[in-house]
Amino acid sequence: MNALASVVFVALVLLVATYLVAVIDATIMIRVSRGRGYTGVWMDPIARAARLMMQRGSRTERPDLQVWFLAPALLAGLGAVALASIPVAAAVHVADNGAGIVLFGAAMLQVMVAVFLHGWAANSVFPMLGAFRMAAAGMSMSIPFSLALITTALPAESLSVGAIIVSQEGLWNVVRQPLGLPVYLITALAFSFWGPMQLPDAADLAGGTTAEISGVALLVWRVARIGVLVALSAMGAAAFLGGYLGPVLPGWLWMMVKTAGLATVMVWSGHHFARMRIESVVFLGWTLLLPIALVDVFLSGALTL
Amino acid sequence: MARARVFVGLKETLGRLARSGPIPVFAVTAADAINAVRDLGLRREVEIVATPRHASVLLVAGRFGEGPIAGLSQIHDQLPLPRLTVRWNGEVLAEIPQARLVAGDVVELVDRLLALDAEILAGALASESPLLPDVDAVEWRGVGPYGHGGSGMTGGTPFGRPLADRAPDRDGLELDQLPVSVGPWVGALPAGLELHVKLQGDLIQGVEVGPKVAVMAPVDAFVRALDVPTPVKLLEVERARHHLRWLADVLVVHGLSALGLWALRLAHDLSPSDRSEVERLLSAVRKSGVIKLVVGRIRGGVVSPGVVGTGPIGRAAGSGDDARLDDQSYQELQFQPVIGETGDTAARWNQRMAEVVQSLDLAARAEERTAFGSGCVEGPRGLIVSKQPPASASLLEVLPTLLTGLEWGDAVSVVWSLDLDAFATSVVLLPSGTET
Amino acid sequence: MSGVIDLLFWAFGASAVVTGWLVFRTDSMVRAAYWLMASFVAVGGILVLLDAQFLGLILILMMAGEMTIMAIFMVMFMMNPAGLNPMTMVHQHRASIISGAGAFIVLALVALFANFLAEPVPTGAEPTVDLGVELLGGSMLVFETAGVALLAVMIGAVALVSQQGRFGDAEAGSLEPSLETEGP
Repeated sequence: MNALASVVFVALVLLVATYLVAVIDATIMIRVSRGRGYTGVWMDPIARAARLMMQRGSRTERPDLQVWFLAPALLAGLGAVALASIPVAAAVHVADNGAGIVLFGAAMLQVMVAVFLHGWAANSVFPMLGAFRMAAAGMSMSIPFSLALITTALPAESLSVGAIIVSQEGLWNVVRQPLGLPVYLITALAFSFWGPMQLPDAADLAGGTTAEISGVALLVWRVARIGVLVALSAMGAAAFLGGYLGPVLPGWLWMMVKTAGLATVMVWSGHHFARMRIESVVFLGWTLLLPIALVDVFLSGALTL
Repeated sequence: MARARVFVGLKETLGRLARSGPIPVFAVTAADAINAVRDLGLRREVEIVATPRHASVLLVAGRFGEGPIAGLSQIHDQLPLPRLTVRWNGEVLAEIPQARLVAGDVVELVDRLLALDAEILAGALASESPLLPDVDAVEWRGVGPYGHGGSGMTGGTPFGRPLADRAPDRDGLELDQLPVSVGPWVGALPAGLELHVKLQGDLIQGVEVGPKVAVMAPVDAFVRALDVPTPVKLLEVERARHHLRWLADVLVVHGLSALGLWALRLAHDLSPSDRSEVERLLSAVRKSGVIKLVVGRIRGGVVSPGVVGTGPIGRAAGSGDDARLDDQSYQELQFQPVIGETGDTAARWNQRMAEVVQSLDLAARAEERTAFGSGCVEGPRGLIVSKQPPASASLLEVLPTLLTGLEWGDAVSVVWSLDLDAFATSVVLLPSGTET
Repeated sequence: MSGVIDLLFWAFGASAVVTGWLVFRTDSMVRAAYWLMASFVAVGGILVLLDAQFLGLILILMMAGEMTIMAIFMVMFMMNPAGLNPMTMVHQHRASIISGAGAFIVLALVALFANFLAEPVPTGAEPTVDLGVELLGGSMLVFETAGVALLAVMIGAVALVSQQGRFGDAEAGSLEPSLETEGP
């Protein structure tokens, strides 16, 4: 795929997927809150986006303006890069090189940097606290995240995501590495700061890093965040659920179904689990998820050898 | 010319699309309008947001005392353009004379909001201009040897703000300390509460409660029951509604906005027959881990019975005081108060959740009995005695000790678990003009 | 295609140098940390262009965490952390100029006179495998086990040595002390 076509393709996929995840989120919200007869779920994300596009941006006193504009664009770019590293079908990939899973990991860890910069730039206390929280949560969750993904590379004997998918032809990784997917999903929640890990933009910080932004900046930030969630779901589908492999249906449809399934699981958890305390998140990452991820690596290594 | 037309067409389309979604509203609410604003939040045409920067409409609801409302001008200027202000069920605002006055109930307000929003999005109505001048707080340009207000390495007011003080943290290091004033209308804290906090990172090292807002006294069924014997069924359903509304607010703060919305819907039209649905909601709340894993892990936040001996806070700490024990109707119903043990945040959550179920059970069995009417009532926050401030007013004095040493998230949880009322956060004016 | 790669190389190289210089020119501590990260990211880009994808991407991955920690530590410990009042960010001018010029001369000599390979990377080469074999040889399993053991030892050593837990004596249960400290 040539460069321009790739960029357009990834951007389109991200926008459509973001819209669909927003619809899923609204649907689950209505069901859990026992709303009745609401038919506006499909128009709601578009209406909100339109309103944000008509709203002007905000300025605080002496923000770090360049960084403030950079951060949402960076977040969106990272989501796109991460999505680009995942093959959609057997021969359709944008950037699946020999170290695809490391590309994905690098993009996702930089999300922590983007959120920190976003909170720092506003020169205001609530965004700053959100940034500090994301730094702590991101640092604690990085190693389990990376280990869970690297473990899937062991049976494939390659770091390329395409090879990882192909190695699951006999058996999906979720079956032969059962510890991997739960660890991956929890750390994915942390890196897309969603639901129980919604620390940087939390309600107890009046919106956290988004407390001082409005208009297009807010829209780009929200869309980029869902984009990161989509990328994480897609990688979970590729690395653990066999990606585009599956009977009957074409590869890209399986990919969509599996990604949508994981995204729905994460969105569902956002409405059913309370936001964790930052101390609990750090504790969870270091004392629970890290040993589990290490055990996962050892077991898979032993099985592979 | 053609480009201008395409541009205008685009704006029209965006405006029409935007109108089909909810209007983001930031609410500055006095004590007597809090329930009305919650009902407003139930409507799907309106979304109550936590920060003024996300809002299109500034809603000032309820009756305030005389004089300017703290922070209102700054909040107004923080709303992004296009913006407008609506004054609901109250008098003209001195700071914002161009606010639109709306009187009536939620339905009328929503209709008016939709009409105004349509006009503003179409550009037919001018957006409100800023109230405060856009100047620096302290004149710094050209001041000092570096020309930006600072002097030396740590002196002066560089760019108009003083450098942070240093304070020892618990490891013995001297680190910067940030004094910041939070509230009184921020979505993270209960309405009307203003805290001056000294933060190191997100650790609170010092708290002072700010000046109180003056509001009019809210009148609800419990205040009326001071003088007139009121049906037990009504009182207990009102008590359950109060606790459910508290639960709705506190669930939103903890990230469970869907469950909070469910609680608010239940509280809207509550009747004793809703008990099974309420129990389903409470079980969903428990399964979300918010009590065991979140508020239950907060170290601190214990309010002893000596501070507040009545109400859910006192009962959660082990005090058995409940004015319902002295009332004959409740004795006939064999009422026994729910008593907790530890008095910490999780105990207060469990206490109120248990009291919701208990109240619905009492209301179902109450038939035609009436209670109280002789000068004291067991309100949802504690004992109410006529012409005396309620016991919960003493919570503000103990708030600094309660919050010092907690991380910000834990402090917010503790504050919300106290269910502070207007008497705690505000100077409440009675209709005759006297203060309590 | 090779024109694009040349362009990318010069872009990455220039940004690595410029952002490295900006680290010392900026007043903001957080910006200094992230300019350094930008410099490393540019170097990582050059490594990817050299078909050493694993090395380049691992560099970018690790710099995210490292620079965030550096930014937070600088904000925490620097007097005047936002650089609000001007302060000299550079010290020991003569020593640093001499060592900087000396390092530049040495590296320039290496660049000019060393015998770099000029063959293109053969297609079908697996750089990650080659890197692993080159670095770890036949002792790969030993190294991996040692790596994990090192992680466990580091965490365990911190836990053992800190008799003073975060909030007090580890034996006493580590409850927060009151905030009135007696001072350093």
